[in-house]
Amino acid sequence: MGFLELINFYVIPGVVLGSIYALGAVGITLVFAILRYAHLAHGDLATLGAFLALAVVTALGLPPLVALPVAMIGTAAVAVGIDKAFYEHLRERPKIVTVMASLGIALMVRSVVQVVWGVDSESYVRGIVRPENYFGLRIKDREIYTLVFMIGLVGVLQLFLAKSKWGKAMRAMSDNPNLALLSGIDNKKVVMLTWIIAGGLCAAAGVFLGINTELKSMMGWHMLLPMFAAAILGGVGRVEGAVLGGLIVGIAEELSVLVLPSEYKAAMAFVILLFMLLVRPTGLLRGKVL
Amino acid sequence: MELIGLANYALFMGIFIGIYALLALGLNIQWGFAGLFNAGIAGFFAVGAYTSAILTSPAADGRLGGFELPFFVGWFGAMVAAALIAWPIGKICLRFRSDYLAIATIGVAEIIRLVIKSEEVLTNGARGITNIPRPFGDLPYVQSQLAYLAIVVAVLIVAYLMVQRQFNAPWGRMMRAIRDNELAARAMGKNVEYRRLEAFIFGAALMGLGGALFAHFNRSITPEAIDPMVATFLVWIMLILGGSGNNKGAILGAAVVWIIWSVSEIATDQLPHEYAVKAKYIRLFLIGLMLQLVLRFRPEGILPEPLRGDTRADDGAVK
Amino acid sequence: MSALLTLDAVTGGYGDANILQEVSMHVDPEEIVVIVGPNGAGKSTAMKAVFGLLNVRGGSIVFDGDNITKWAPNRIVQRGICYVPQVDNIFREMSIHENLEMGAFLKKGDLSAAYDRVYELFPDLKERRKTLAGSLSGGQRQMVAMGRALMLDPKLLLLDEPTAGLSPRYMEQIFQICRDVRSTGVAILLVEQHAKQALAFADRGYVLASGQNRHEGTGADLLADREVAEMFLGG
Repeated sequence: MGFLELINFYVIPGVVLGSIYALGAVGITLVFAILRYAHLAHGDLATLGAFLALAVVTALGLPPLVALPVAMIGTAAVAVGIDKAFYEHLRERPKIVTVMASLGIALMVRSVVQVVWGVDSESYVRGIVRPENYFGLRIKDREIYTLVFMIGLVGVLQLFLAKSKWGKAMRAMSDNPNLALLSGIDNKKVVMLTWIIAGGLCAAAGVFLGINTELKSMMGWHMLLPMFAAAILGGVGRVEGAVLGGLIVGIAEELSVLVLPSEYKAAMAFVILLFMLLVRPTGLLRGKVL
Repeated sequence: MELIGLANYALFMGIFIGIYALLALGLNIQWGFAGLFNAGIAGFFAVGAYTSAILTSPAADGRLGGFELPFFVGWFGAMVAAALIAWPIGKICLRFRSDYLAIATIGVAEIIRLVIKSEEVLTNGARGITNIPRPFGDLPYVQSQLAYLAIVVAVLIVAYLMVQRQFNAPWGRMMRAIRDNELAARAMGKNVEYRRLEAFIFGAALMGLGGALFAHFNRSITPEAIDPMVATFLVWIMLILGGSGNNKGAILGAAVVWIIWSVSEIATDQLPHEYAVKAKYIRLFLIGLMLQLVLRFRPEGILPEPLRGDTRADDGAVK
Repeated sequence: MSALLTLDAVTGGYGDANILQEVSMHVDPEEIVVIVGPNGAGKSTAMKAVFGLLNVRGGSIVFDGDNITKWAPNRIVQRGICYVPQVDNIFREMSIHENLEMGAFLKKGDLSAAYDRVYELFPDLKERRKTLAGSLSGGQRQMVAMGRALMLDPKLLLLDEPTAGLSPRYMEQIFQICRDVRSTGVAILLVEQHAKQALAFADRGYVLASGQNRHEGTGADLLADREVAEMFLGG
């Protein structure tokens, strides 16, 4: 098979999928680093974001990219609300209790989507989208948007974490929560910020998955494993790691059909996850081992 | 609803409560005793169901089978298969901390589901396996249901007694010691990895048995027979609500949750059609909410874990 | 001159048991006071009581006129006491400069005066201010830890075993830094395992054992005291 074919049919879809995973994985890695547990409802928050955007698209006839900010804000608000209503009360308990709770929250969020929008597949736009030809590379506009937005959103986040006071506060809490408290950093505000960012990024992941494929109520849940694999692959707590991990998982999944039957594509993420946990739990960029 | 219908329904519910109680008991060994977060219950259930189906059903085109072994061989095979699958998974994954184990088991269940869907030679893919023999299946409807219920209850009692005996034995105390203070247990020379693996495998075997009981009751098993995430979640809330660490609690939780689940299904089935469909998801939402409330307000469950290793003295006393 | 910090018969502990039994001590403005004693004497516990990290069940702690016995650490920091824990006292993944910035988190407005003050005390740190704190040597990390605590311009600095695990060279440097800090108008209360050296450089000291006061006096007096020498100056 030619090089161009490899790029067009495997690598490019892999990068697009990987960008989507990256958006979710960044949220997961932040929650891991600051709140110190695995948030199993992450995928379903992405589903919620996607469908919130759908609501805006169908109600106002806007393109999904315009609906994206609305979805991000809405999902961020929901994430903060869930934390205040449920996770906050479990803070004094062992973290595994919150993980268990998040499994229940995943179910609850998914059911809300299923009640409001049903279980059939939906799309933001009807019709076939043809790829453009860039020197032999066949790329659809929406694929470019996905990658560009991912880089943009993560870039803004990185700037925020590096330069702003509260971004540094988040890093401080991730680094040494006790010392952060002693320094007067308000734990509650940092937690809220974390959920705002994670929720917003989840929504973006969901919307772009919807833009590039379709919307289904299980779409987010099926991304959970790849998102976690990406976060752990990159190194827990490392935002760039989550992006790198996401891209690798996405490309690996697409390339896997060259050696595995295509039904087992989803197994790729699991294999990567297991491999990293066994061989190098700190991940590629040396994150935390919780 | 006439009395006969009600009685039939009670029989049907009883059988399902029995099956789920078995699953909850299995989870109790893994989580209640050993602190292992298994979010892939549906996977072991499916392995047990399919193994028994393959061993006991008549031959079918393009599929491995035709062994037509007696049902109890199938059930035993189900337990062995689930245990065999649990062994390597346990060896690899149990060393991870609970969060990672949760994700890994979610992945395991997913892989099992994929294998079931894709390996047609083994499982007949989406069509599933039919003609699974049902003990006393040839009797008239009510007698057949009663007979199956009796079998399920018998199996459950045996399983309960075995697990309870282990719980009271030094093994049970050691498991809890490891769960509560791994460092101390290690310092005392306990082989933590091996004990955890034991708990994981025993629990998985019970889950496989539950799957087999289900398959034989239905006389068929397909990938869509149960919604894996719903089933997994139901077992979890059954255990948490009933009381994790408490075997009676596991069974009680199964009964309470299943009754709520089924009765709410009947209630919502009476609604006009569009609402009835959505109602399933509302019920799921409420079950999820129930878990949050239990975790927040009564995390020890209805029947808390008995404090001493020996539950015989505590019998009848619900704290 | 009334004391800056007064502990009056403080009794308390972490859980149900009381580690401190009616411990009393005081620190005057611009004084260096050291707490010494055998292991398990409750030295660090006494310090944590001052910073609001302990369950205080009896007695009182008064700082600069306020009764801070029941105050949360957050509030105590704002009132003018800063605390340097013995371990995990820096943000390893953040640069030296960012560590200082986090120290000043509660400060509004321009931080340049605060940075200047700290970098003047620790010129080594200024050159390396973009280095990750976790990659520094033990002595330098301790300086970052102290620098972080000094960013809010406290009146009282609490140091928990600042020389733990450091070579004698760094130990002497830390003590010198304490004197420099004191000359900027800050009082220092420190817990020390190296009792001899600590008493030699401090103004006054308290000897605690089993959670209770045993001896007190100037550094020189305590060094000369036979009983104190017997108890722990052997090490």
